[in-house]
Amino acid sequence: MRAGGGGLSWFALILGVAIGIGAGLFYTWEIDPIIEHNTAPWQLGKAAREDYVVAVALSYAHNRDLTLAFNRLLALKPEQNVWQLVADVACERVKTGKTVSNSDIRVIRALEQLYRPQGASGCADGLYPTPAPLVFVTPIPSPTATPTLPPPPTKTPTPSSVAIVSPPVLPTPTPAVGERFIVTRTQSFCDPNVDGVIEVRVYDEAGEGIPGVPVTVLWSGSETERFYTGLQPERGLEYADFQMTPGRTYTVTIPGLVSAPPQVEAAPCRAELDGEMVTVTTSYWVNFQQRAR
Amino acid sequence: MTKRYVGSLLVGVLIGVVVGVFLGWEQYPVEYTNSPLSALAPYYQDEYTLMVAEGYQYDQDINAALERLQPLGKPNVFDYIQDLTERYISQSNVPAIPVMVALSEAVGRLTPIMEIYRMTPVPSPTPMVSQ
Repeated sequence: MRAGGGGLSWFALILGVAIGIGAGLFYTWEIDPIIEHNTAPWQLGKAAREDYVVAVALSYAHNRDLTLAFNRLLALKPEQNVWQLVADVACERVKTGKTVSNSDIRVIRALEQLYRPQGASGCADGLYPTPAPLVFVTPIPSPTATPTLPPPPTKTPTPSSVAIVSPPVLPTPTPAVGERFIVTRTQSFCDPNVDGVIEVRVYDEAGEGIPGVPVTVLWSGSETERFYTGLQPERGLEYADFQMTPGRTYTVTIPGLVSAPPQVEAAPCRAELDGEMVTVTTSYWVNFQQRAR
Repeated sequence: MTKRYVGSLLVGVLIGVVVGVFLGWEQYPVEYTNSPLSALAPYYQDEYTLMVAEGYQYDQDINAALERLQPLGKPNVFDYIQDLTERYISQSNVPAIPVMVALSEAVGRLTPIMEIYRMTPVPSPTPMVSQ
């Protein structure tokens, strides 16, 4: 076989190219590969992946940004559901005895706080429950009635018959689709007279209560209940409440909520009733407010 | 005949080596899949450090935070924390600055440029047993 007059043997040329490519690949893959310096999270080994997932969970425990946590976990390109990956890491840490120090326990709790509300589960479920939060109550000054003098009788004659026209009842404002709300308060309290109740209040930008806002409470992964503010006007137009079942964790949300929905736990707490300490279920104040545009 | 054959072979090998090196280093380089955290790209190392700093805000355990940074393999982890914090300040990475400043402060590397980004301590309220 020979090239037409070019003086080249095609067979030798092709054989040479094949040998050269083989040699080149052997050199670049085996002898002098590119130095590893631009690794992405999905290329991490098992131990490093675990460290990375722990860091994501601890970060989430601080900032409560679920989307950010999801995107960070996605960078690991897990073969299964990202939340199940977190559950598996928690399980692995429990199995391997990484539960010795307080820091280890907090890591397990942070991991669990991340995966359980998303429906994942593992062998670390409920092993280290988050303790009920301390009850910090900021006393709210009650409005004091200021004595005022009765108004002096007017000298203006009053017409004998005056038509009293009641102001027209205006439709109650309900938040339009697209309104943006944030959580302004999530606070627990322990009151023997209010046993395991979530007290929800929804305010507009100016701090006025908004009635008719649908509040949704989720628990156990799939259970939900919806109720509306303003149905107990004696408690304020902004008010709605929900009775919790002890031991469950609930997520409270409203339409247009742009911050992370608060999660509350119906954990037991001790309070004083008629001079005796009694165990009741923790209650919560959860306030939402329209965000200033 | 033999000369032509050998010459063609050498030319072919030369071309093949060039192509092979190009493929092996540029097109299909070795992909490692069992890497340590120290091999992460700088962007991801910074991201990991930020997550550790946020974790420190959660558990307030500086020893645990430093332990979590060890796998990055930095020669001087305190210098690294300070450098990253100052870099975030210079880049106006607003969400990251307070937590990184807190971590820097915890390791004794609070520099003048960080002072104004310190988190203001919130006075703890008085606990009440019942209302």
